[in-house]
Amino acid sequence: MNPVSQWIDPVEVRRLAEGLMMKTKAPAVPVSLADAGFDADFVGFASASPLESPALPPQIISPPTPIAEAPAEPARPEIAPTPSETSFPEKMLRFKDWMRHHFDATDLFILDREGSVIFDESGHGRLHFLARSLALTSRREGAPVANVHMKIAAGSSVEIIPAATTHGWLVLGAVVSKALSTNSIASVIAELSKLSAPPFPR
Amino acid sequence: MISIAVSSQKGGVGKTTVSINLAHAFARAGIRTLLVDADPQGSVGLSLTRQSRLLSGFYDYLTNPSIPLDRLIVPTRLETFSLMASGQASDYEAGGGMGAHLVRVRSFLSNVSARGFDLCLIDTAAGLFGVTGDVIASSDAVMVLQQAEPLGIRSVPKLLEGLNRLRVSNPSLSVLGVCLTMVQHDLAESTGAAAALRQLLPPTMVFNAEIARDGLYVRASARGLPVGSMEDGAEAQKVFDALRIEIETKLQPANSRHSTYRS
Repeated sequence: MNPVSQWIDPVEVRRLAEGLMMKTKAPAVPVSLADAGFDADFVGFASASPLESPALPPQIISPPTPIAEAPAEPARPEIAPTPSETSFPEKMLRFKDWMRHHFDATDLFILDREGSVIFDESGHGRLHFLARSLALTSRREGAPVANVHMKIAAGSSVEIIPAATTHGWLVLGAVVSKALSTNSIASVIAELSKLSAPPFPR
Repeated sequence: MISIAVSSQKGGVGKTTVSINLAHAFARAGIRTLLVDADPQGSVGLSLTRQSRLLSGFYDYLTNPSIPLDRLIVPTRLETFSLMASGQASDYEAGGGMGAHLVRVRSFLSNVSARGFDLCLIDTAAGLFGVTGDVIASSDAVMVLQQAEPLGIRSVPKLLEGLNRLRVSNPSLSVLGVCLTMVQHDLAESTGAAAALRQLLPPTMVFNAEIARDGLYVRASARGLPVGSMEDGAEAQKVFDALRIEIETKLQPANSRHSTYRS
């Protein structure tokens, strides 16, 4: 009797093994070579100096594409309700202030389900690449999607928070001084869901 | 330069023994080889240098990258073979988050290449996380060792999943394949497990060369020698020479050996 076949799925193992033998595909989202290579001057990981936060104005690049509706999650603290006609950039600025006030979060960015940047105040394309990689690598088939965080400098971590919204999965990235608690994550996800709720401006 | 991480999902599969003897095989073939002990247990140093606990090494560099490599590299009697111990900071946390040491590991490999080595072979701690994950995510290639016993082979799916995740960070990582170790030809369970692994994985993913469980390795380690330097080590040396040739073929099947190691 084969001593291992009753313990493992040979088809799945073969699929994983063959995946390793193939050349990897280019990322779905265009990434600069420097980002993809994490070269020596990359300040995102384990740098001795804290991550710099350039004083760039928040940049709205494009709104996410709406897809099926998803219910918002209950959470505290909350952003004060906004009029339904409030634009996405205005909502985003309120959200940014709320994140900074409650969690001391900076360098916010949001990626849509395709990995495209829809909001960015970080100015660090490498953080976007890191977020895509972490969101991808932390995903487990059949398991609920969860946040991940990684230390990027002394006293700084990047928190990556995927959230189901009415516009599909969004991935929020933020630089924080310490990892957020489970309750804080729930609050952020709830606010992120509300942020992208319709009506959505064009 | 080519950097190869020697890794395994589980500990105790003979990683240090294979790393030492494989590095020695490359060096004997004229390839300027640096064997780096990235296992905080420091087994390479313990095996080959009596004063290893006094040596600074890889983890000292991760702590302080300004340390000149010349202070960390230990020459051997074979001109093409050098070692680096794990170092005084080897109680360094081996676990932790992936990516925390990536820049320094890459800087380390870049500096080793600049020192003129053709090959940097890195003996890692077991598992695919923490510093080991960063080493694999920084290396050109990884070879994985798997003990020929049923329980260990059941961990293969986890190993493959881990390697697939690491390829996200290092898309150019070449997975050289799995090398069976501690094969006991007089034990049906061991040979059966080895056969099952070969049946399970694509043929190109399992090395033809197998490392047998042999008291010779224990005797060689006790004397601080690679097996090829033992009086009765010729047959074992042939196995590591075969493994070296398989790796060279996988790294660059169409070109000459020396072009494999030049960037």
